[in-house]
Amino acid sequence: MRRGAWVALNLGLPAALILAPFAAFLVHSFWRMDGFHVVRALSLHNYRRFVSEDIFLPLFLKTCELALEVTAIAVLIGYPIAVFLATLRGRAKYAMVLLFVVPLLMSYIIKIYALRSILGNNGFLNRLLVATGVLERPTGFFAYNFTAVLITLTILLLPLMILPIFVSLERIPRSLLEASADLGAHPAYTFWHVILPLSLPGVVVGASFTFILAIGDFITPTMVGGMTGFTYGAAVFSQFGTAFDWPFGAMLSVVLLVVVVAAMFLAAWLGRPRGATA
Amino acid sequence: MSASLPARIVLGALAVASLVVLFGPLAVVWFFSFFRQRRGVVQWESFGLDSYARLLKNDSILTALGNTVVVGACAVFFALALGTLFALYFHNRGHGRQAQQFMIFLPFLLPPIITGLSLLIFFRELGLDRSLITVTVGHTLFVLALAYRIILTQLQSLSRSLVEASYDLGANRLQTLWYVLLPNLRTALLTAAVLAFALSFDETLISLFLVGRESTLPVRLWGMMRVGFSPEINALVTLIVVFSAALFLAVARLVRPTGEDLTRP
Repeated sequence: MRRGAWVALNLGLPAALILAPFAAFLVHSFWRMDGFHVVRALSLHNYRRFVSEDIFLPLFLKTCELALEVTAIAVLIGYPIAVFLATLRGRAKYAMVLLFVVPLLMSYIIKIYALRSILGNNGFLNRLLVATGVLERPTGFFAYNFTAVLITLTILLLPLMILPIFVSLERIPRSLLEASADLGAHPAYTFWHVILPLSLPGVVVGASFTFILAIGDFITPTMVGGMTGFTYGAAVFSQFGTAFDWPFGAMLSVVLLVVVVAAMFLAAWLGRPRGATA
Repeated sequence: MSASLPARIVLGALAVASLVVLFGPLAVVWFFSFFRQRRGVVQWESFGLDSYARLLKNDSILTALGNTVVVGACAVFFALALGTLFALYFHNRGHGRQAQQFMIFLPFLLPPIITGLSLLIFFRELGLDRSLITVTVGHTLFVLALAYRIILTQLQSLSRSLVEASYDLGANRLQTLWYVLLPNLRTALLTAAVLAFALSFDETLISLFLVGRESTLPVRLWGMMRVGFSPEINALVTLIVVFSAALFLAVARLVRPTGEDLTRP
């Protein structure tokens, strides 16, 4: 094949299949709906609506907070578990890591559905709490509200947090830990000054996966969110369904895009290689 | 890494508690694939393979399952072909390879909702109706990054002398690709195929934007959410999890590095 054609194929295909739809989405956010017709003229109509109506901006901030909370909880639970996996040996390690991968193979919708039946007013968790005497009667605290979205997203995304941290812990050369011990460092000191800094890139990868997937999800809030658990992602999706305002939906997604790109830059900056390399 | 015994016990307890929570949904589904419940009460005498038998008669679900497999297989095929093409281009230091790589990673890095609606808008501007074909395109682009990354990693680990030897012996580019590179990329291609298929099989967020009249399994399940699930769904999900876990184990065993001893402390 001629060189020019080869380059054109390799750059043209991704441009046509990936860049073009992406560009169409960006342009669409500057169009607007007039009744049932799309007005194909550039304007800031949607952007003005976003700022002037006091529904979407608060909803957006609430969803950012939700995604941050999910990420923070997942780090706090996921990091110790990744450390535990890294301390295991041989077959036990292999089996335990696989156990944390298997939940990822299970249908997303089904997991949410099953979690809903566990967390629901009549669900397993409530019955357990009533049976053990913790609660007098079932609580509506776990289902069809904001807390339910928080709990469900954390459970769904936890494996995606654990695995990258585990990988980065595994990459730490044993010689560094031995050197630290030989030089008289207490294990806690070694953890704080050697292990933790070297595993940060894994935390950053896991956190960005979790944050990006949590902030854009619309299935979980629709299924377990009820009235208070409505999120920004669900608002975007409704523009392509019941609300039928694609240009406004595209505009709402541009805001989402800005935050996600900012998060990625932050992640790249936090996860950058620092100091002397091992 | 090592830790003191009390620390390991605490960490282990946390890990076990998390596994209970992660596998809770799975256990619920598995349990109700054998029992029925009426108004939230388990009917213990209903134990049996009834829901599995009913699954075999549920055409709408089996059709959706079939669609999902076809879409997944096509997406895997295209993603592997494009992934190999782009990985070779990057490896051979083609022009604009960084830009190419950025474009490939884009649909994987952005929230699926953005990938989904971008393609939806794009297809409508082109005048294409939503169908299983549009879903396949969406899935292909979504799993492409994964396939590309896995293939490129293995390509970069191959010795350059392999390709040089092939050229020295008179093989042309195509022969080198077919007889030298592809056989050496076998593990990467297989791993990529399985992971890509698994991702495609469960893909819901992008699919919901792109499905037409015929739906894939996750979309079908989404549609059934409001009316509630019939018992055969539990049977289906149980079978899918068992099947995918078996497939995953087989691949994990296959690609486990044999040279590196995993039993080493």
